[in-house]
Amino acid sequence: MMADDKENLRAVWDGKIPVCFTLATDEVFTAEQPEPMFLMLPRVSYLPLVTDKVNRHFIRYVDPDDHGEMWLEDEGQPLKWHNPIGVLFDMAEAESRLPWTLTVHFQRFPEDELFHCSSKEVVESYFMSMVKEADCLKHNSRIIGNMQKRDHKQLWLGLQNDKFEQFWFVNRKLMVHSEGEMFRHIPFRIHWGDRHFIQKLIKPVSADGNAVTLGDLLRETVPEILPKEDSDASSHRVIIQGCVLPPEVPLQWLSEHLSHPDNFLHICVLSA
Amino acid sequence: MEWRRVILTRQHERNKKQCDAFVGLIQAHNKLFESAEGHHLANAKLTVELEQLKKENLELMVKLEAGGGSGQGDKNMAQKLLSLQEELTDFHKRKGENSQEIIDLNKAVQEKEKELVAKEQKILELETSIKQLNEANENMEQNLIEATTANQVLGDEQQALQLAFTSLECKFRKLQEENNDLVSRWMALKSRDADKMNAENDKVLEQKNLKMQKELAEAAREQVNITAPTGDNMGALGTPTACSFVVTVPSRAINTLEAHDGEVNAVRWSPSGKIFATGGSDRKVKLWQAIGSKCEAKGVLTGSNAAVMSVEFNMEETLLLAASNDFACRIWSLPALRLQHTLTGHSAKVLAAKFLGEPNKVVSGSHDRTLKLWDLRSKNCIKTLFAGSMCNDLMTSDTYGSTIVSGHFNKKLMFWDPRVDTCRQEILMEGQITSLDFSPDGMVLLSCTRDDAISLIDLRSNQVMKTLRADGFHLGCDWSRAVFSPDGEYVMAGSGDGTIFIWNVMKTKVEKILQQHKHPVTACSWSITGSSLLSCDKQRTVVLWADF
Repeated sequence: MMADDKENLRAVWDGKIPVCFTLATDEVFTAEQPEPMFLMLPRVSYLPLVTDKVNRHFIRYVDPDDHGEMWLEDEGQPLKWHNPIGVLFDMAEAESRLPWTLTVHFQRFPEDELFHCSSKEVVESYFMSMVKEADCLKHNSRIIGNMQKRDHKQLWLGLQNDKFEQFWFVNRKLMVHSEGEMFRHIPFRIHWGDRHFIQKLIKPVSADGNAVTLGDLLRETVPEILPKEDSDASSHRVIIQGCVLPPEVPLQWLSEHLSHPDNFLHICVLSA
Repeated sequence: MEWRRVILTRQHERNKKQCDAFVGLIQAHNKLFESAEGHHLANAKLTVELEQLKKENLELMVKLEAGGGSGQGDKNMAQKLLSLQEELTDFHKRKGENSQEIIDLNKAVQEKEKELVAKEQKILELETSIKQLNEANENMEQNLIEATTANQVLGDEQQALQLAFTSLECKFRKLQEENNDLVSRWMALKSRDADKMNAENDKVLEQKNLKMQKELAEAAREQVNITAPTGDNMGALGTPTACSFVVTVPSRAINTLEAHDGEVNAVRWSPSGKIFATGGSDRKVKLWQAIGSKCEAKGVLTGSNAAVMSVEFNMEETLLLAASNDFACRIWSLPALRLQHTLTGHSAKVLAAKFLGEPNKVVSGSHDRTLKLWDLRSKNCIKTLFAGSMCNDLMTSDTYGSTIVSGHFNKKLMFWDPRVDTCRQEILMEGQITSLDFSPDGMVLLSCTRDDAISLIDLRSNQVMKTLRADGFHLGCDWSRAVFSPDGEYVMAGSGDGTIFIWNVMKTKVEKILQQHKHPVTACSWSITGSSLLSCDKQRTVVLWADF
């Protein structure tokens, strides 16, 4: 048995965000001011995979002798390209100010906040390492280890070229589980504010045989965000794939259906 | 499972809010963006074009102005035109001259080229002639070198000969002196002898006279009847035994022996005709006695290390001589059957060995192209005769005792005197000589040659007297032996197909053909009794032929 709720999978894959790119005003070198650029970016993709066009458009307006690698910034916050775009968007709480306006920079690369990304191969290797880590947690690397190089490539190309069928043809093997045997652990990451993400070993089934739910996970990992027993109003919101989810959803299902292509369940915690 | 639906709707809501609202907008924007981009590019291109056109326009304007200015000085221009036309005609004229010159020059060039080609041809010819001359020169040089070396060789030889000549001259002078000395001594002895003889003669004459006187005196006293003697003394020596036997040509094989393993190379009756010996490839010599139609083995002589090629008795039947392929000859003593001598010294197989007439001397002929004389007392080789070709057979002349005849691979018969180192005489035959035999009177030499002919040579004139041939007579090997009958009337030889031919010498015709052998016949022998024949072949068999 494996991920079978194709509607939800498709909805996750089809999630897109309208983005407006503008060049940082102090980096405009030419007399002409560049036009802003609008793009729909898939939530599940990564910034370096979709910003080639942006790079081409804005590079004409900067000093040809003094520019480095392109990086993006949102309200003074450099965007970490190694997180999926959906996670970046949710964490920026930009839902209220659509389209999401990002500033394009070619100078003053924030060395201490961002990794360099010289080519798409860097993204690929990062992505593959995430997939391998997830499979290590789920199946003790049994499945990813048995795959051929060709399958890895197909996984990556499916993502890069936004091909749902191609990607899931391989990815469903990674999501496989039998009835008696759930994932060993649920690969997840909790993003909360500016701090580093939180990651723990959580089994999909508790010791007494009950399915572990999203609520259980939050209680286990970040108890401080849950509403106090005395007050009903919660101080934090928990968002996965841009949606607030009911706490009784079992983790196994969540992991299978709402994970990003890197096979991790990215959980965003935002203050209410 | 409610939460699934909830999640799906929430996702849809999210998409509706975040996505659907903007999709159309952004698509439209992108479209406009791209078209604006396209327009931008087109605009830039057009601007550049415009610039170029402007520039061109400007240039054209400048040109036009210049054209307008020249229109005023018409007169000047006409004058100028005139002068220019004159110049032009001048130029045309000059051009004509030049072209004429060019034509002339071209002609000259062509002539030169022709000359050049002719010269080149000449050069080529000369080169070829040089090459030929060089080759000739090389040949000459080669010849010169050869001639010089030949000259050198001849010079060396001449020197050697000169040396030999001087030494010989020296010897000759010594001998002459010795001769003179001997002659003078002999003369002295002669004269002494003559004196003695004279004295004796005188004495005898005196005695005779005395006797005569006495007899006369007696005769005068009595009358005696005297009967005259009837004949003078007959010579004690006659032709030897041979003619005293009746020679008959047998036509039956009375016995067939499996004598040896493999080839039987030699067969020979003893001088008395009582026993015979055979020699074969099994390295043995066997002695047999023929009693009636039976053949009894008398003994086996061993000691050879290779095939036995010939066997020979001495006249007294006390020794047996065998030549072998192991480069040696061996002699056994006969009653005892003991190996007495092994004569080694040849460097190739020995095909024939014979007793010389003198006692205790043996001559052997070998494929090492030499003949060797052996002395049995000293067991040494006393002389080596260099024949220059492989010897297949040899004979010693019993009557003279000292003449050796050898037959060779190079078709030559060679006559040797054992006292002299060099060949006394050579006769060139038609083919390689395989065997030799003397007629009983020693006057005719039989030589069997590889061209399937048997030649009879008169030894007095050393000329081929008769040649015996026959249809179907083909020699089987290089040492096929042919023999005379004891009276010399017949010649017997075996052919390669096993047939035995017997020729009548007088009629020069085949007398009889005997067929019993199935393999090439190697040798045959005619008994001194005249009626028993032996023949042997390459496959073990010895056949005894007789009529009784």
